[in-house]
Amino acid sequence: MRTQQEIDYDALVKEDRVHISLYSDPAIFTDEMDKIFHRGWVYVGHQGEIPNPGDFRLKRIGLQPVIMVRDQNGKVQLLLNRCRHRGATVCQEGQGNTRSFRCMYHGWTYQLNGELSGVPGAEGYGDDFRREELGLVKVPRVGEYRGFIFGSLSPAGITLEEHLGRAATELDMFVCLSEAEDVEVVSGTHKYNYQGNWKLAAENSMDGYHPAIVHASFGQALMDKIKNSPSPEQQRADRDFASFRGATKDLGNGHVMLDYKLRIYDSLNGDPMPAVRTITSDGQARIEELTRRFGAQRAANMLREGGTHTFIFPNLILIGIQMRVLQPLSADRTEVRLYPTLLKWLAPEVNTIRLRSHEAFFGSASFGGPDDSEIFERIQDGCAVELEPWQLLSRGLHRESHEDGIIVGDLSDEVTQRGIWRQWKKVMMQGVKAGRTARRRNGNVAAGKRG
Amino acid sequence: MAFDRQQVERFLYDEAQLMDEYRYDEWLALWTDDALYWVPTGRDDIDPQREISLIYDDRVRLQTRISRLKSGFAHAQEPKSRMRRVVSNIVIEEAENGEIITSSNFMLAELRRGKQDIFAGRTIHRLRPYNGSFQLVSKKVLLVNNDEPIDNLTFLI
Repeated sequence: MRTQQEIDYDALVKEDRVHISLYSDPAIFTDEMDKIFHRGWVYVGHQGEIPNPGDFRLKRIGLQPVIMVRDQNGKVQLLLNRCRHRGATVCQEGQGNTRSFRCMYHGWTYQLNGELSGVPGAEGYGDDFRREELGLVKVPRVGEYRGFIFGSLSPAGITLEEHLGRAATELDMFVCLSEAEDVEVVSGTHKYNYQGNWKLAAENSMDGYHPAIVHASFGQALMDKIKNSPSPEQQRADRDFASFRGATKDLGNGHVMLDYKLRIYDSLNGDPMPAVRTITSDGQARIEELTRRFGAQRAANMLREGGTHTFIFPNLILIGIQMRVLQPLSADRTEVRLYPTLLKWLAPEVNTIRLRSHEAFFGSASFGGPDDSEIFERIQDGCAVELEPWQLLSRGLHRESHEDGIIVGDLSDEVTQRGIWRQWKKVMMQGVKAGRTARRRNGNVAAGKRG
Repeated sequence: MAFDRQQVERFLYDEAQLMDEYRYDEWLALWTDDALYWVPTGRDDIDPQREISLIYDDRVRLQTRISRLKSGFAHAQEPKSRMRRVVSNIVIEEAENGEIITSSNFMLAELRRGKQDIFAGRTIHRLRPYNGSFQLVSKKVLLVNNDEPIDNLTFLI
């Protein structure tokens, strides 16, 4: 295995191609966990997953286990899941509600804000025992935008606002202009893994070239249904899906999107679509705003199926009504979690349509996602071929256009993949030197504890 | 109406075999028009109006599921999973309108691309007497691992 200092990223990531070792080399994986996931901004979870004090979810930032918890004051805390005494994890359940976190080795107990509140046999420690310094370690930087919680394990760096840049408006669109507390993320989680590198799912999620092939069975099923469908509205909806229109866009900082004008997953829903109506006056104002900006049809569609199709570097994908989180496990294994969202101000039956639409295409038993995973595994298998070890990303390179700092291409162009790799390379080349500094700093902390 | 236990068991065994052997059209023909094929995720007792499932198919979506599997382009089933399952611990209850509710355990060995997985769970079938046998009104599958990552559940369960 190469050491990280020997990896020449400039030679491996070209504008029009990338080297297959970027998907398979364990040394590169270790390096990207360090530089991308353990130092930059990483999406952790949404406030709507933990609406009440004491609600918690287990998450990871890179490979490090994190508890996302709402404390007694209603503040979201990101705490590293490791007892400060002898290092056992203090939270075992994936989600739940609790009053405190207790290590079941010697009983050290922590408050929801991480403070160490209970030490059995405290008299066994000397005067230099500083309880206030031994709380659960907090993620050094926590940022929030419309309820999306991001964390950075590095105490210094650009702000979350700078990181999100132009992509922030896509977060607005995803939640259909809802406030953080109006987004509910308590509708279960689709979980699956695949035997492949995490970047395969990132690239694929923003690939407008593949649906006609990878999702041919979905298209075929739709065509069958059009033939048998009595309703002209349903037929039109299905045809709209079958003829996707839109553009690829590189928003900068690795954030990229497919800008679809329409997306219609609930075409596969057998139920007639009830009109989008609201139950709150606040909701009515939002619908009016969306209608003013996008027209009635697209606004209704956004509410049923989500308002954007965007990748937020490095691990958040917003598609349909779901927040999709990529969790790298190793160079060739990745965990994917899909969190469907409901909006409090929508009528219950519209929220149910959102769920049924999601299930058609996403999840382990659906008609879309599993076919993508199958392709990821075939690509990972293909990494064993060492002759001509490149993946081409040149599609549409000659016809890119630039609009206000955004790179735009045809829906089938690889503008989005190039955008992800541009950022990836920039971060990975930010310096072997900085990496050494971080490691030395950690080493000093460890030495200090021993002393 | 009294039920014939053997007849009920035969229906469940036949259904299992149709799934194991990709006899999609015959399997689809078992279902009523008001069908519900349901596989919850997260836990067994979710509210499907507020929470997602792995599968929540009405008759129309069931039909789509089958036409997709038959299309030759359902890549997650190309090649297909090789499967055999055992159905056991069958409990039969009479329900209203002469319908019957069965609870049974299953264990399924599923092999694909060199990897064999075991799926297990309890299935609740609702059966409607029809032509000397039954039609399948609803089927709810409570997977043991429904709160764990499942990589591929595109075969019939």
